[in-house]
Formats: sequence, structure tokens, C-alpha cells
Amino acid sequence: MAHSISRAVTLAAGVAALATILLAHHSFGAEYDSTKPVTLTGVITKVEWTNPHSYFFLDVKDAKGNVANWKLEGYPPSVLSRTGWKKDVTMKTGDTVTVFGWHARDGTNWAHSREVTFADGKKLFFGPPAGTGDGGNSPAVDVK
Amino acid sequence: MGRMIRLLVLFVLMLPPTFSQTKGNSIPRASNGKPDLTGVWQGGSERPGSWDEANTGLGVGGTGRDPSAPAAPSSNDRPAGREGAPYQPWAAQKVLESFNRRGIDDPTALCLPSGIPRIVMLGLFPQQIIQTPQQVVMLYEYMNVFRVIPLNAKHPDDLIPAYMGNSVGHWEGDTLVVDVIGFNDKTWLSGTGTLHSDSLHITERFTRVSKDRINYQVTMEDPKVFTKPWVLNSSLMLREGTRLQEYVCAENNLDPGYYEKLLKDGVKITR
Repeated sequence: MAHSISRAVTLAAGVAALATILLAHHSFGAEYDSTKPVTLTGVITKVEWTNPHSYFFLDVKDAKGNVANWKLEGYPPSVLSRTGWKKDVTMKTGDTVTVFGWHARDGTNWAHSREVTFADGKKLFFGPPAGTGDGGNSPAVDVK
Repeated sequence: MGRMIRLLVLFVLMLPPTFSQTKGNSIPRASNGKPDLTGVWQGGSERPGSWDEANTGLGVGGTGRDPSAPAAPSSNDRPAGREGAPYQPWAAQKVLESFNRRGIDDPTALCLPSGIPRIVMLGLFPQQIIQTPQQVVMLYEYMNVFRVIPLNAKHPDDLIPAYMGNSVGHWEGDTLVVDVIGFNDKTWLSGTGTLHSDSLHITERFTRVSKDRINYQVTMEDPKVFTKPWVLNSSLMLREGTRLQEYVCAENNLDPGYYEKLLKDGVKITR
């Protein structure tokens, strides 16, 4: 199966519009850039169900056949387990998945994960929408 | 004709409620006749149903079944229509600075407790209320913190400044009123950067208005930072079948290190 990496730039506007803010442990916006959506397809190399965030790692092959290992961040275990995920069952090392999320601000192979699509087409959210926890559209005080 | 329709509508409105309506709107009561708040609840939501039903779509922890469903608001976000918090100018400037730093100074990024009312109004994690005639216990999955609220009691004289403060409660009719003092100044109230001092005095009013819903009103008084009391209204929604789980934030908290690295590398993270 060809693994590919592509920037889902066309989704940016729609995603930004839908990016209602939820509380997470930390500021999304400090670490991730909501103007840089990313869609990755690859093979799972590791899954960490940890607090305050879970992570999975993905080997992604580019058009030249070079493989890069990406780190994807998402919900803590309690949230995953309440929203359809089963540890060591839903996503395992060796599985091929496609993940949609947003690139880290430092440009490394690190992203915030939102929607994971499994080989059978099933979709689950691994993390919250863009913008989570960084204050929303306006500060709590009125700016004059 | 119009008058007849109005009369008919009036007649229908005057009819006694049906059994099902009464049942649907009735609230569970404890043996002492007070409303029973016992249950697992979700803050920051107005959607009834189980956790799964209420959190589909883009909602908190949504499963993606219904992408058009509305998302629950964050306790870090200022909901549309909410008045600006009544901070004194110097404090408002600090709130704004935190907002512009995208909240990297959030105490919870260091795994510190969220404080009140922030933890009551967040939606990503459930909270549980256990009520007895003598005390009400509130358990929060997020940060695994709790409140033991004795009823008809006075605050202790030897309070040590605390993240969750010290709570005492009493009933005013069908409303549980909780008085909270004894805070430190290390938490946010509701929204990025919403600081307070150790003089914070909070009054919470929990009113179970239906089987599914508790209306939550919180009044925050802090003469050191506010120009007047800050009052917010929110709700808690019953989530039958949900159980609280462990949340040990310090297990693998990488965020402070990320922030430090990004700042060190000169990556622009501010607004």
C-alpha cells in the first residue's frame, strides 16, 4: 500500500470555521498551527495511552520512498475510552491509518491529531478540534 | 378566528400537565425532601442524554457520527454573548497578556488543580456529586480533585490557602448554596488568564431544575482584582452510566517542555 503525505490545505477554511474551542489540558495554539492542517497515512509504530495526553507514532513514506516517523498528540485515556476507543484493540502497532490534524509550530514531524480513519473506513476522534484551550476568539475582558 | 385560536391556546395551556410531563420534569429528592444532586454530571453542556449521545459530532470527545452537532464551549473560551469580566484595568491588562500568549501560563499545563468555578464548568471530563443530609461531596475526574462540603457549618478558622478553597453549604429552598473562601491565587476562574487574588469569595448556587439538569450560578467577588462581582450562569447535565476514571496528570506531561523549546527556538506562538 502506498503511504502518502499530503497537506489538506483545502480543508483549512472549513476546519477553522468548525474549530469551536474545547477545554483540554493545555493550549492548542501555543504548540500547533491551525492554519497548517495535515493529513498523514502510515503505519503505527507505537501507541501511548498516557495522561494528560495520549500519543501515537506513525511511519509515513513520502513519494520518494523515504520514511519519517511522526508523533501525534490527542486525548487522555479516560476521554478515549468514553468515545469508542479500546486500548490495545482499536489501534495497534502495525495498523495502517490515516490521521487528520494540525502541524506543530516548530515544523518537525509532530502534529495534533483530530480524526483517525482506520483501514475499514471507520473514523474516530483521537483529539479535540483546532484552537483548543488557547483562549478562543476573544479574551475574557473587553478590549477598548 | 384569531381570537378563537388564542382562546384555544390559552385553554390548552391551562390544562393540568399529563402524567408523562410531570414525570419528565420531576426531580429526584432525598429522604429529607431536598433535591438530590447525586449523580455523574457534565459541565459546559446543555445537551441531554448519555455521555455518548451528548458528545457526538464536534462535541467534547465527539465520535464523529454527527459532524453537524454543536461543540460544547470550553472553560478557557469566552462564550458568545458573555459580558466582559469586570476586572480592574491593571488586572484586565494581565488577562489580555495571557490571552495573547495563547495561555501558555495556564496553571493546569503544570498539572495544577483547575480551581473553582473553572472545574465545575468544563466539559471534557465528568464530575460526580454525592449528597447526604450532612454533607455534599463533589469529585472531579480532571486532575482527580474533590470537595467535601459540610452543610450548615462554618468555615474553619485555620484555613490554609488552597487551589480548591474551602467550601461550606446550606439549602435555600430547593437550591444548594455553597460558600467558598480560602483560595490561593494560583488558579484561573473561567477563561484564559482570568486571575484572582487570595481574597476571592465565591458563592455557588446549584438548582436541579429537571432530572437531566442542574442550573449553576456562580458569583465571584474579589475586591483586589474586580470592580464588581462577576456572575456567570452555566449548567450541569446528568450523564447516567458514566463513571469517573483516573487522571494522573503528572504521568507524561510534556507540554511545559514543549513551550520552553518553542520559545527557546524562537518559534512565534503569540497572537
